[in-house]
Amino acid sequence: MDTGLTAAESRELDARLQKRQVKEFMTVFGNLVDNCFNACVDDFTSKALSGRESGCISRCVTKSMTTQTRLGERFAELNAAMTAEMQKR
Amino acid sequence: MSFLGFGRPQPTSAEKIAAVENELKVVAEMHSRMIKVCTAKCIDRTYREGELSKGEAVCLDRCSAKFFEAHQTISEQLQKEGAARGFGGPGA
Repeated sequence: MDTGLTAAESRELDARLQKRQVKEFMTVFGNLVDNCFNACVDDFTSKALSGRESGCISRCVTKSMTTQTRLGERFAELNAAMTAEMQKR
Repeated sequence: MSFLGFGRPQPTSAEKIAAVENELKVVAEMHSRMIKVCTAKCIDRTYREGELSKGEAVCLDRCSAKFFEAHQTISEQLQKEGAARGFGGPGA
């Protein structure tokens, strides 16, 4: 992306983005926990996760990762196409 | 107030960095919304399988394309309606 920033400004931006990445990772992690917990756990007759629940959670995590990778690829393609389209106008 | 670009203040470094950062933030937000929306639409919530099924994968591809199209359609419509009311367009 052409940002029109100087090298020093670019470095400052990178530093900020890095800080944000940590925060974003926490958000993604939090969403993953919420989503898989909500989908897999609905029995509160015991305080330990049952085998079924922990299996479900593990499958949920695997599947969510694959989902995010796939959507990440599509997003990059679509975003590039949209940006190109906007620059044509 | 400056007109015709005369005496328009140059954006400071901090402003330039903030502008780029903001642009990236908008894209990142759209990305995470798309993940949420398309997961909800396409992924079977019973998690009997850890793998994406063929149907789910195809659904995700179509969902992402539609999400973008909806995004564009809505943004164009808002811009049109905004212009009709004499605003400079949404969120500009």
